[in-house]
Amino acid sequence: MEAYYGLFVYVLTLLIMGGIYSVLTLGLNIQWGFTGLFNAGIAGFFAVGAYVQAILTTPVFARHLGGYEWPIPVAMALAMLLSAAVGWAVARICIRLRADYLAIATIGIAEIIRLTFKNEAWATNGPRGISQIPRAFSGLPQPYDLLAFLGMIAALVGLIYWLLERARTSPWGRVMTAIRENEQAAAAAGKDVERFRLEAFVLGSALMGLGGALMAQYLRQIDPNVFEPLTGTFLVWVMLIAGGSANNRGAILGAVLIWSLWSATELVTSRLPDDFAIRTAYVRVFLIGLVLQVILQFRPQGILPERRPSLKPRAGRASPAEKTGSQAI
Amino acid sequence: MKSYLTASAAFALAAAPALADEIKVGSVAGVTGPIAELVAPIVAGRNLAAEHVNEQGGLLGGDTLTLVLADSQCDPKAGVDAGNKVVNVDQVVAIVGASCSGATNGMVQAVTIPAGVVSVSDSATAPSITELKDEDLVYRTAPSDAYQGAALAQLAIDSGYTKLAMTYSNDDYNAGIATVFEASFKELGGEITSNQVHEPNKASYRSEVTTLSGGAPEGLAIFAYYGGSGITIIRNSLETGVFGKFLAADGMFDASVLDQIGTENLKGNMMITQSASDPENDAYQMFADAFAATGFDPAAPYAAHGYDATFLVALAIEKAGAADRAAIAVALREVASAPGEVVRPGEWEKAKALIAAGTDINYEGATGTVDFDAAGDVPGFYSVNRVGDDGYEMEFLR
Repeated sequence: MEAYYGLFVYVLTLLIMGGIYSVLTLGLNIQWGFTGLFNAGIAGFFAVGAYVQAILTTPVFARHLGGYEWPIPVAMALAMLLSAAVGWAVARICIRLRADYLAIATIGIAEIIRLTFKNEAWATNGPRGISQIPRAFSGLPQPYDLLAFLGMIAALVGLIYWLLERARTSPWGRVMTAIRENEQAAAAAGKDVERFRLEAFVLGSALMGLGGALMAQYLRQIDPNVFEPLTGTFLVWVMLIAGGSANNRGAILGAVLIWSLWSATELVTSRLPDDFAIRTAYVRVFLIGLVLQVILQFRPQGILPERRPSLKPRAGRASPAEKTGSQAI
Repeated sequence: MKSYLTASAAFALAAAPALADEIKVGSVAGVTGPIAELVAPIVAGRNLAAEHVNEQGGLLGGDTLTLVLADSQCDPKAGVDAGNKVVNVDQVVAIVGASCSGATNGMVQAVTIPAGVVSVSDSATAPSITELKDEDLVYRTAPSDAYQGAALAQLAIDSGYTKLAMTYSNDDYNAGIATVFEASFKELGGEITSNQVHEPNKASYRSEVTTLSGGAPEGLAIFAYYGGSGITIIRNSLETGVFGKFLAADGMFDASVLDQIGTENLKGNMMITQSASDPENDAYQMFADAFAATGFDPAAPYAAHGYDATFLVALAIEKAGAADRAAIAVALREVASAPGEVVRPGEWEKAKALIAAGTDINYEGATGTVDFDAAGDVPGFYSVNRVGDDGYEMEFLR
């Protein structure tokens, strides 16, 4: 009986991490899936959200800035806001860059942000990180604390999903897709391409900040290692590509699935003799790369491919002359 | 992919209920990640303790002690995930680990304290762990790094240094020791001419070394991992002729430092403190002989701590009399501290008999007395390794 209860708790934790990563993949989906912005600096915005959450909610410690003990929801809102502000500043400078140049610039920016947090020890306790971060509902007994926390994440993911679906099928979403597919054509149609790109980047950054705020609460301890490019940026990319770029459901599915794969493979490898177990730990890292390769080779559109909004005219409106069909990126 | 997941879930299900003759203890370590090269001997130390237990009658009524390895990667994300797996899926009764302070901090707060599982870390040294509201569930056999920084500062003063330059690798472990060293050295009347932080894994540290040379320091104190940046810094210092004398903490203690720099180049000019055990202590010798027989170096950082942590958990299980998480948590403090009949590494049979007879026991480990204080910490014991004609010459600091 205890074993089944344990498995139940483990599944809860998988879903929590999957949910947190869903927020990140949904953020990336706005940027890359809809608008075609190659943001390779997810970890940076993720870190801003996490550190804002940590600093605003922790009790007083001599080793880092803090002691504000703000309510968790207020801190989460501020984490999003600050992340969006950083996103805006970055976008103002970099948004004109074409795909691969934007990728290079954002990689650099993410590392700048991470190293800033690592070195400004008066505020962040440097590489030691911030501990004792309050988590929503942590006062409840197990497993209700995890259930309630998961419920909060699920509600947030649901809300974000609903809003993004509304955005996707709206004229705004269609402009985003137009920019992704053919920027010149979108500009020729009179759309302010740069403004739309900036909006997508800022919105995505805000979601990544929210992801960071949730991660800080769940782990209750953050340090610069949490925002390493491998698990802070590239894992999010794998999730989005695997689940289905430009499909919000795909983004959520990819996050939960890839995280579960990443985590649960160890249950198998840890049962091997130690010599092998130590070596296979590296195989798990390799596996993520392999999954990305296989998906890109055999199913580049992801598990759930993009579905363009229906062309049925809404009441009182003419149907726009667009092609239907899924579009691989 | 889906079927693979199902398969692994089924495998987990089948394996989860502990077999009648097996008691599982989590062994959470940073197998991959920034300290991977230090972890192999630590895991070997833990395994040796389990071997000793199993060879000498096993736990309770002859049950096998099984260590379940999980990777904490030195990252709180991975630490929490690894903790969740061993606590919930493997249903371990206690945990040895995790490896890094950050991963340990995350794991205990997010997983083991709420679940009521006791954990004994053998290598987390951050002072923040002392402050956790841990309901008496978080212990460590590794001393808080407040102690090593102070020990090295005292050693530097005793060796006649008054002006030193220092540099530290920007990671949690080395930054922690460096901070304490700087404060203690100044307190003891020494002068730090310059203090420079560096990022590990760079190809060259010539510019850092040059910057550090100002103010005529007598030597350079290096707080780094040998593989990450330490060896390169020493090489650059010797090449440029800026520094000839080095002091370091235990992240630098490895034979490869001598192999790559050359013993003749460091002879008489380098000393490395290390969290260590009194070599004249029988308890340490018992561990060292057994550990050397497995092909590992008994002086490897935190290997002895790994042994002690695991042996203590085993003693706590025996004392508790059942594979019960709450009882083990209570028993751990009792078996570690005086009063009681002294038990040393490898003496499982003796300990088992004493516990069966109802006698109080007190484990004196390879790393020292391992008497936990109120916060679950142990005092630090250090040795200094000076480079002599044939390599390191160790002296225990008293």
